[in-house]
Amino acid sequence: MTTDDNPLPGGARRGSRFALPNSAYRAILGAVAAVFVGLVGWFLVSIVLKAQPAFSTLGFSWIVQKTWDPTHDKFGLLPFILGTIETTAIALVLAVPIGLGTALALAYLVPHRLRAGLSTTVELLAAVPSVVYGLWGLLVLAPLYRDYVEPFLTTVLGWTGLFDGTDQGVGLLLAGSILFVMILPTMVAISRDVLAVVPNEQVEGAMALGATRWQVLRKVVVPGARTGILGGFTLATGRALGETVAVALVIGNSNYIAHSLKSPAATLPSLIVNNFGEATGTELSALFGAGLVLLVIGVGVNALARVLVRNVASTGGAASVAVA
Amino acid sequence: MEVRVPVDSDLTLRETPGPRRSTKHLLAVGLVAAGAFLAACSSSSTPATTTTAPPGGTLSGSNTAYLQADLKAPAGTLNAAGSTFVQPFFTKAFYTYTSKNQGLQVNYQGVGSGQGITSFEAGTVNFAASDVPMSASDLAKVPASSGPVVQVPDTLGGVSISYNLPGVSKRIRLDAPTLAGIFDGTVKTWNASQIAALNPGTTLPSNAIVPEVRADSSGTTYIFTDYLAKAAATAWTLGTSKTIAWPSVAVATPKNSGVAGSIKSTPYSIGYVELAYAIQNNFTYAAIKNANGVYVIPSLNTVAADADQKVNVTPTDFSIVNEPGATSYPISGYSWAILLQKQTNATAGSGAVKVIDWTTHTGGGQDLAAALDYVPLPPAVQNQVRTQLLTVTGPSGETLLTK
Amino acid sequence: MTTLAFDASADPILQRRTEIQRVAAASLKRRKRSSRIAIGVCWAFLGIAIVPLVAVVAYVVVKGLPAWNVDFFTKSTVPEGIPGGGVWNAIVGTAEIGLIATAVTVPVGLLCGLFLAESDGRIAGAIRFTADVMTGVPSITIGIFGYIAIVITVSGGHYSALAGAFAIGIIMLPVIMRAGETAIRGVPNHLNEAALALGARNATVARRVVVPAAMPGIITGVLLAVARGLGETAPLLLTIFGNQFLQWNPTKPMEALPLVIYNYSSQPYADLLQIAWGAALLLMVVVLVLSIGSRVLAAVLQKERR
Repeated sequence: MTTDDNPLPGGARRGSRFALPNSAYRAILGAVAAVFVGLVGWFLVSIVLKAQPAFSTLGFSWIVQKTWDPTHDKFGLLPFILGTIETTAIALVLAVPIGLGTALALAYLVPHRLRAGLSTTVELLAAVPSVVYGLWGLLVLAPLYRDYVEPFLTTVLGWTGLFDGTDQGVGLLLAGSILFVMILPTMVAISRDVLAVVPNEQVEGAMALGATRWQVLRKVVVPGARTGILGGFTLATGRALGETVAVALVIGNSNYIAHSLKSPAATLPSLIVNNFGEATGTELSALFGAGLVLLVIGVGVNALARVLVRNVASTGGAASVAVA
Repeated sequence: MEVRVPVDSDLTLRETPGPRRSTKHLLAVGLVAAGAFLAACSSSSTPATTTTAPPGGTLSGSNTAYLQADLKAPAGTLNAAGSTFVQPFFTKAFYTYTSKNQGLQVNYQGVGSGQGITSFEAGTVNFAASDVPMSASDLAKVPASSGPVVQVPDTLGGVSISYNLPGVSKRIRLDAPTLAGIFDGTVKTWNASQIAALNPGTTLPSNAIVPEVRADSSGTTYIFTDYLAKAAATAWTLGTSKTIAWPSVAVATPKNSGVAGSIKSTPYSIGYVELAYAIQNNFTYAAIKNANGVYVIPSLNTVAADADQKVNVTPTDFSIVNEPGATSYPISGYSWAILLQKQTNATAGSGAVKVIDWTTHTGGGQDLAAALDYVPLPPAVQNQVRTQLLTVTGPSGETLLTK
Repeated sequence: MTTLAFDASADPILQRRTEIQRVAAASLKRRKRSSRIAIGVCWAFLGIAIVPLVAVVAYVVVKGLPAWNVDFFTKSTVPEGIPGGGVWNAIVGTAEIGLIATAVTVPVGLLCGLFLAESDGRIAGAIRFTADVMTGVPSITIGIFGYIAIVITVSGGHYSALAGAFAIGIIMLPVIMRAGETAIRGVPNHLNEAALALGARNATVARRVVVPAAMPGIITGVLLAVARGLGETAPLLLTIFGNQFLQWNPTKPMEALPLVIYNYSSQPYADLLQIAWGAALLLMVVVLVLSIGSRVLAAVLQKERR
């Protein structure tokens, strides 16, 4: 509380009349963070308790078995783990460059007057419910992929061995593409905001040194926004890993390991959403186990991202603040 | 010569529910008899039969009295959950019931049969609906203090084998062993010998077959695989269950609507979907060989004919696939309503039994079934439902279903 | 390249300068070309990003607009075969759940974001990591948790809109936390330091300097979270249960737009399918309005502050 022990000359009033003491402020922030931690803890405990019967009945090795056949009491998560990683990878391979490029365009290349409008337009993609993406993917995109995109890619890139098999439309490629569209607004929006607030002095300094536009962007702006871009990347990855309904509609739901990008596959979330309504007993526990495995994958992906950024970290503007 | 069995579109039951049903019923019985007569006279090599299906029983005389009492249930709100298959029918029936009763609202949500059962076991809903009755292990999860569980059939449906075969206008015929081969991946092309043998005179393309199946656990899958296990015997090895480990050649999509959409947009595909979806989407469906050797297409009448062959269904003996009868459609099944026999709340319990009773009887909810492409319950089954519902008691032991 | 007035080849210094100028010119030409290409690629990527947007939005508009009539907005859902239904009960439900979830998660998320932005210690690092991992939890798992935690444990077996808001809130919270933290960290240090130098306490600095400066980024984060939260189906399936009838009480089962879309789009009847698309279009329009509205609001607030 501001008091009279430091009056301003002329009796001027101070702006803030009440300010929390620093200790109280820290305490409140800490308490709220503790609430978050408590919530996550409650969540973990609930899931672990429900998954525990599967582990006590089946041990631990079932997680990497290949067969999922509850009718014959066979459980294995390997195809779904691979499917999750592969679809997320496809989505990220597309979303990171295209998202960054779009964000750069929106932050620096697009004329000022169009900036807000175009940004909102791209963010509109985030407004589409996931079930709509799934239906659009199944009804519109899948036939297009089957009849045009997949044959074209097989002709051009078939030598890589990644495009074997029949053109079915639904499969890893389509699921990855739909995920790409779904995570794009996250990547673009957050990156654009961070790119736009890179300090002007640095941008101008680089230009003064004779750098071309692209050199400014590549050497100063993007590194300067590196942490924020990582934040956007992380949120985008999270969304891609956890998407359920849209993926279930377009991935073909094959419980076998996919051998090519065109194969139907399945992910851990699609497995859970497809079977949760009817599962009982060990199968239900196994689905909770699948949820736990997905959490572990999330931990792994995020840890990897952090390590990568720390290794690549050179200096550069306001960026190198704790990446944690 | 192919037996001409009445197709649903001939009778256009869709726009005319209610009082005209009895006329249609007579017409249907007449056409069934005519069809059976033609079958007897046919010179085809398939075994001809002269049996006409028994009418499926007659409704008890006190039906009207019970229905009137059903509409006098105490006011309130009930929650019910379960099968997605019955959802359109249930919501329409309950809506109509509320508009006549003005006091009791039933909120039904199709969350899935398994989730419905789980909610029922947890006590979060007043009654549940499931395509497959609760198994012994499900029943063991109901606390002993809650008492026994009453399960009654509430709707009847057929599973069509719909396909997308460009360039072939004549209806395809299939039998159980061939279907088993298609769906376990051993019959790979449309012009395979097994299919060609059943369809002489039809030029079949050499394209690969794309089997369309359910990705999620489903009662429809159960009925279909139950049929394959019973009618194809040793040819079908993947089991009878709501979740099947399909071969990798099969494309799996969640929900009936997903499979329907996939069939629609995938040439040379074939899949199993509830009759309502096939009718609403104008699918072409195959004629399936029934237990009498007759090739029958699914319709409200052929499914009813199959159900009429076995009216004594119980929660432990509930399969009606592949029943005898010249006009029986072999891939049919019931859906079940589940509630506690000892209701702890007289108002809620009374509301539940009355609404279920009203929904499962002719003159009440069953009159709405045909318009939505559901098959009305055979009268004998309706009588049994009422007998079961009469065993439901309130907290003081009083019978809740009254006349 | 400049032409020289005298013969430079004799003077080594001038020779060197010519050489440097030649190299520099060549370098500039090369750099300019790659710059043009790279910038062109950025524009192309922007174009690529717009294509699916136009495709999806056009599809939803074409399929959903015919469903929009007066009944659609004023009447509750009706079963197949009954004419004149709408999604009024779902609109009410989505609005209530959205408001409750936002009202709780925005303050909590912002405060957590502040916490994370202000400390670089290991605890904060662990919390940040946890928030990132939580954004990757499938919505169905969060829905299951909402069912176990609220429907069964807390309310003893009753579905409610509050349980749904709880589940949606868990989905939104990590997004707001991280996006908020990112935005707050983006505020240039000198603003922070200047305020502290003027003798302001941390709370004041946060409230009057940092958060307002970070507001555009915070709003983006909140909008992304709300857009995602409003459109999620799986968490709602298991928590609010759904309701064919209009319900205002948040402790009872309620309907919501994503549920209507999910349920109706999986039925075979054409008029219900049309209502599903109409509801999808409505959701999109709502988020668009929120998006534009909040940016306008932020701009107005910024002007006032100046």
